[in-house]
Amino acid sequence: MSNFPLRVKEVAVRHESTIRSTAGTIVSVALTLGVIAAILAGLGANPWSAGKGLVSGALGNRFNIGQTVMIASLLILTGLAAAIPFSARLWNIGAEGQMYVGAIAAAGLGLELPASTPRWLLCSILVVASLAGGAVWALVPGVLKATINANEVIVSLMMTFIALELADYAITAIWPQPAAPQTRYLPPHAIFPNIWTGTLVTAGAPLALAGVIVAWLVMRRSGLGFQIRAIGLNPRAARMNGMPVGRVTVLAFVIGGAFAGLAGGINVLGINGALVSGFSGNFGYLGIAVALLARLDPLWILPSAVLFAILRVGSNGLQVQTGLSPDVGEIIVATFVILLLVFRVIRLRYAEAQSA
Amino acid sequence: MNVTVSVFAIGIALMAPILWAALGEVVVEQSGVINIGIEGVMLIGAFCSAIGYRYLHGLTWGLLLGIGGGIVCGLVLALLYVRLGTDQIVTGIVFNLLALGFTSTLYTKYLGGGVVNTYHAVKIPILGDIKYLGEILFQQNALVYASFLAAPVVFYLVHKTWYGLYARAASEHPRAAESAGLNVWHLRYPAVIIGCTLAAVGGATLVLSTSGGFVNGLTEGRGFIALAVVVLARWNPFGVIAGCVLFGVAQALQFQAQNIGLLSHVPSDFVLMFPYAVTIVAVMVARGSRYPAAIGIPYRPSSATAV
Repeated sequence: MSNFPLRVKEVAVRHESTIRSTAGTIVSVALTLGVIAAILAGLGANPWSAGKGLVSGALGNRFNIGQTVMIASLLILTGLAAAIPFSARLWNIGAEGQMYVGAIAAAGLGLELPASTPRWLLCSILVVASLAGGAVWALVPGVLKATINANEVIVSLMMTFIALELADYAITAIWPQPAAPQTRYLPPHAIFPNIWTGTLVTAGAPLALAGVIVAWLVMRRSGLGFQIRAIGLNPRAARMNGMPVGRVTVLAFVIGGAFAGLAGGINVLGINGALVSGFSGNFGYLGIAVALLARLDPLWILPSAVLFAILRVGSNGLQVQTGLSPDVGEIIVATFVILLLVFRVIRLRYAEAQSA
Repeated sequence: MNVTVSVFAIGIALMAPILWAALGEVVVEQSGVINIGIEGVMLIGAFCSAIGYRYLHGLTWGLLLGIGGGIVCGLVLALLYVRLGTDQIVTGIVFNLLALGFTSTLYTKYLGGGVVNTYHAVKIPILGDIKYLGEILFQQNALVYASFLAAPVVFYLVHKTWYGLYARAASEHPRAAESAGLNVWHLRYPAVIIGCTLAAVGGATLVLSTSGGFVNGLTEGRGFIALAVVVLARWNPFGVIAGCVLFGVAQALQFQAQNIGLLSHVPSDFVLMFPYAVTIVAVMVARGSRYPAAIGIPYRPSSATAV
């Protein structure tokens, strides 16, 4: 019962923001699209044909839809990697590095384990390894935050740069593939099975969906999720209510990191079949945008990730249509998020709890 | 030049971009704003200076365009952080993404490689002849010297002028500052713009002095290293110099690793991890540092609570 006042406050704030956002969302999104069209025009592209190129590049045929599905799977997981710590107001921006370590773990074990291991066992081990890899990497900023209040933004980002060098070492020195910037290919029975003929969609996609359900259960149906949200809402009140803030901090990071690690595992086991240098098109960072658009709600992560996957995969089509580089996708995503922040469509719930 | 002297001389050259950015961040944070977007500002500063160098033919134009890019970033971020009061950490993170997208897109379109004929080293008379010390400190280029001179200027601004005093009041207790008749927003706008300008000069230094050209994602986390240095130095510009030397030397090791007995056996990937690992250790060492009390919290003037 001691948590009662917190719960009331949270419900009240959510209710108010729902009313406000439904009124303003349509106008805001329209304005946002207008600004993005203006930017595209400024870069020398016809916004209308750019939009068409974007949509057909992402959803034009079965193969492209499959690509979008797989990228969305990665973005779901990196989105969860941001959303769960963010809910406790812990800024894990190191999903990129956690993803790389998950990928290194999956690729390394996949290449080193004996080939006689049964497929179901091997795949399960590799999935667990990628989860563990990401979790270990997130443990560092989590523990440093919990014990000595070290700035987690800096630490999680520095861990990312270290992970990139580690991946480079794994690729160039431990398991090099001759004449290619990647490790050797994993044995065929370590790779996820294809589940949709005519596309490259593999078992990684349902795995990401399972991630959404797990995250939803953790955040909405478990004591830990309640504690995470309570700390995000008001850390001082949470501490005074006797919550183990340090332990929850570490767990929020570890769970987030595990999701990011799984994204890396899926990339190796379900997309590339090897650890490829620079495999991530900033997926770890895009996850932050995914989480914000979803307002950190695990269920909304799904449509949010699909939207960003369409933008990302579609920007390759953009190149064909308008000659712009695919990096335009990053501009669109970032402009989108900043404007939604400005229009208060994205409004983190704790905004009212803070006062100087 | 022996190996140790060379590592330190390279280290001093490599520290200049981080030093500029960190000094800018001191100004920003001493007004109660945290600029996580510093990495993106550096990147934009670097890109603009490369554009200026390429199309206006000259280092000075490169530097000026870099400064211009920084001022524009400062205006945009001041609008977001201060006037519109968006969440500073989230806005900063997304701004970095935006900067990366813009510079990468425009890079393929307008730059596509291209080498910059960097500022050449100027040996300072007499001082430059001192054994060891002269080779390390006094045979650098103008942007490096200027970054050292910027430290006392920032110290003076933050600690000795009325503006610095008022801004620090706004960073500790904005409500009280307002009661004393100060306008918190008006104190924070210039801080963000000055800070972004200095960060952009850091980016320009990277192109015009350190690396001699622009590539996508050139800054490689240097903005975040600057954020760590500022905390480590407890917002003291002179402490910032010391912190930056540490990182400069940690980065310089990669160029001389093959000549240093023990390090020559370490794979280069691990030597490249050095500056990042040092940053994490620095964050751990700096645990006693206390951020200004009101940092990162958008301020709403009491007269405008309805806004």
